[in-house]
Amino acid sequence: MFTSWRCNSLLEYILRRLLFSIPVLIGVSLITFILLNVVPGDPVVEMLGKHADPQTVQKIRQQLGLNDPLYVQYFRFLFNAVRGDLGRSFKTGQPVTKMILETFPTTLKLALSSAFVAIIIGLTVGIISAVKQYSFFDHFSMFIALAGISAPIFWISVIAQIYFGLYLGWLPISGYSSIKHMILPAVVLGIRFAASIARYTRSMMLDVIRQDYIRTARAKGLAEKTVIFVHALKNALIPVVTIIGMQISGLLTGSILTETIFAIPGIGRLSVWALSNRDFPLVQGTVLFTAVVFVIGNLIVDLSYAYLDPRVRLQ
Amino acid sequence: MQKKIFAIILIAALAISLFVGCGTKNQGQQPSQQQTQNIAQVLNDYFTEDPNGFDVQESTTLSMYTMARLLYSTLVRYKGETLELEPELLAKMPEVSEDGKVYTFELKRGIKFHDGQTELKSDDVKFTIERMLDPNGKGASTWLFEPILGAKAFMEGKSNSLEGFKKIDDYKFQIILEKPYAPFIQNFAVPSASIYSEKLVKAGGDNWKFNPMGTGPLKLKKYEPNTEIVLEKNPNYFEPGLPKLDEIHFRIIPDDTTAVMEFENGTLDVATIPITEYQRIKDSGKYNVLESVALNTYYFLMNVSDPKWSDVRIRKAMAMAIDKKKLVETLYGPRGTVAKAFVTPGIPGAYELGQGPAYDYNPEEAKKLVKELGGNVKVEAWQRGGDRLTDANIAIQAMAKEVGIDLDIKIVEKAAFGDARSKGKIPANYGNWWADIPDPDNYLYTFFAKTNQMSSGYNNKKVQEMLEQARTETDTVKRNELYRKIEDTIVKEDVAVIPLFHIKSLLATQKNVKGIFIHPTGVTVYINAYKE
Repeated sequence: MFTSWRCNSLLEYILRRLLFSIPVLIGVSLITFILLNVVPGDPVVEMLGKHADPQTVQKIRQQLGLNDPLYVQYFRFLFNAVRGDLGRSFKTGQPVTKMILETFPTTLKLALSSAFVAIIIGLTVGIISAVKQYSFFDHFSMFIALAGISAPIFWISVIAQIYFGLYLGWLPISGYSSIKHMILPAVVLGIRFAASIARYTRSMMLDVIRQDYIRTARAKGLAEKTVIFVHALKNALIPVVTIIGMQISGLLTGSILTETIFAIPGIGRLSVWALSNRDFPLVQGTVLFTAVVFVIGNLIVDLSYAYLDPRVRLQ
Repeated sequence: MQKKIFAIILIAALAISLFVGCGTKNQGQQPSQQQTQNIAQVLNDYFTEDPNGFDVQESTTLSMYTMARLLYSTLVRYKGETLELEPELLAKMPEVSEDGKVYTFELKRGIKFHDGQTELKSDDVKFTIERMLDPNGKGASTWLFEPILGAKAFMEGKSNSLEGFKKIDDYKFQIILEKPYAPFIQNFAVPSASIYSEKLVKAGGDNWKFNPMGTGPLKLKKYEPNTEIVLEKNPNYFEPGLPKLDEIHFRIIPDDTTAVMEFENGTLDVATIPITEYQRIKDSGKYNVLESVALNTYYFLMNVSDPKWSDVRIRKAMAMAIDKKKLVETLYGPRGTVAKAFVTPGIPGAYELGQGPAYDYNPEEAKKLVKELGGNVKVEAWQRGGDRLTDANIAIQAMAKEVGIDLDIKIVEKAAFGDARSKGKIPANYGNWWADIPDPDNYLYTFFAKTNQMSSGYNNKKVQEMLEQARTETDTVKRNELYRKIEDTIVKEDVAVIPLFHIKSLLATQKNVKGIFIHPTGVTVYINAYKE
């Protein structure tokens, strides 16, 4: 009875959140559409390059429906979008949905592998640093974490490519076709996030292990392992989960620099390419996709709060 | 506890080292490359940008031009590294009527498309031209066929058939021009003028651009968008013994630095070297470094209709303020040469290298002109994209400052730049032009005709009349004289453009790669390439 009530309430909560996200998504698409049409740059001129003579420009604008009034163009997009059709890319002629779905698995692979690296390294280093506060490990790891956050990703990437790819020859320099290809980009991207996770975990853990209930747990004679991993960590994780959730959402929408440097055809590269070519349907599609990922990401983070802290109720 | 953690870290590190360290360098390649190591002649190359399908009529990017030369053929082509034309799909060079308006073509017999069955016929040429001009199509290089009689009416949808195309039989046809256009035959050597099969394009429908079938030396084997393009030898290619390569693999590597690393790692056979890497790669002695003459001019263009640039004295002062020698040596080292004319040397009718009407560096004279204008003149230029000013723009700005010109350079995102250019709204810009065809018309008409395609704002009616006249002039001597006169007026009298320098194309290959070269038009030619 209780479980079924909880289950229904959870489903209701998820449905409500998803319903609320509809105006968000419409707002995002409308703002994107307005911005695309306000920012200077004709997609057809961009497509034709140096031989963009007015007659050819007009011919192709007509073809792409760009001569229609703006509201007609927007409602056409919206009408098709709700039916799952995001239109066709101006540049490739391919359906936008297909292009996004073909690219997403690569981004997903990179995002999950770098998130894995980030969480493992970040949590481990953060916990040890907190437990061994002011030790050599703490100072050293926090210095590395600071360096990790501050170092530009392209610099770390190039150094990693030169050392592990070119000099040692251990790993491929670029590409994404095998697990081996994914190690360098995942580690490079993951290290950056590991650094911030480590710093958050350390500070949250320090907060928690000074609480009375931890002293009580120790006084009860519980093993240090149990105190740290069962009593302290779970409570320290709530803000860390928020950070991880946001970062994973960010990773799922693509890491432009990493994808470019390692020649990985992910969503990040696709979005930038669409924007620089003024490929309106593809820009709309990738922005909408990004918004959906963030909406779902935030929902998952909120749901995880309830699991980590029973005091948090889904309303 | 501490010991345990260190032990775990150590074991993990060892495990990772074992996992990744047991391979050799070559294991860093894509599996597809590994598989092909056993095939005799496989060339590994790359593009920085995916051509996005293989419809060469839709795009004019360099990667698409390269694809066009591999997958398709044109009626005529350049002979080796020269600018001389020779027949490709034609049996012989076309005959031109005395009035320069009627071209008679004859195709080679028995040329087959990649399906191995469809034969090239006159109707395919007509279909190709009409497809480019189709008002409902996406042909991006309509300029190639615009001189043909009836092309404009066809583009406007006023006729269903191109009036200027007359089929004589399956292999012979005539093309009639509206008025003589001297460089017309050159247009058929441009990769966008590759000949399609009517039957195969129609059968391919929407999917055609991803399943191209041309008559070129290689055919498409595999296409993974934004990842890799694999081409394989066309067994039906009409030139015996060619191509020498069995396969070419083009990876898409957007970052040049990554590409150079892959090249040094041996996983790429060919690489375009950034100038910053040129000396190091060359001095290593491990690679072939090919330097080829290229038809380009780097310039500073001023919009003469822009109020701030409209006084010829400011344009002249700017021309004398730029130390071109210093500029090119700093930016491109031995790869560049100072330009004295806008039309690149080597093009028929152009000035020879080191000669031309452009002003020399003369800061004292420039200062006098600025003083005449009241001193400290403020002008504006734009840069096409980028997150900071390019080195060239910083140098030009500093040189202008030396003579009292306050040159404000704005960075304008590339799509917005292109849009403004098509509307003639760019005040001035540092840019470069790589010729489509080796003819002065391709430079001077494009930049200074009344169409104002490149935002020069040029309005000298006399020159614009001469530009129209030169297009139709069939006497080569008279035509060349006209172009000299036009260039002298534009560069010396009106100072509408400042020619800065020309650069060579650079290509590095592994030592065992032979027969590859970059044609002066910028397209890499693979037809005779092979690996030792």
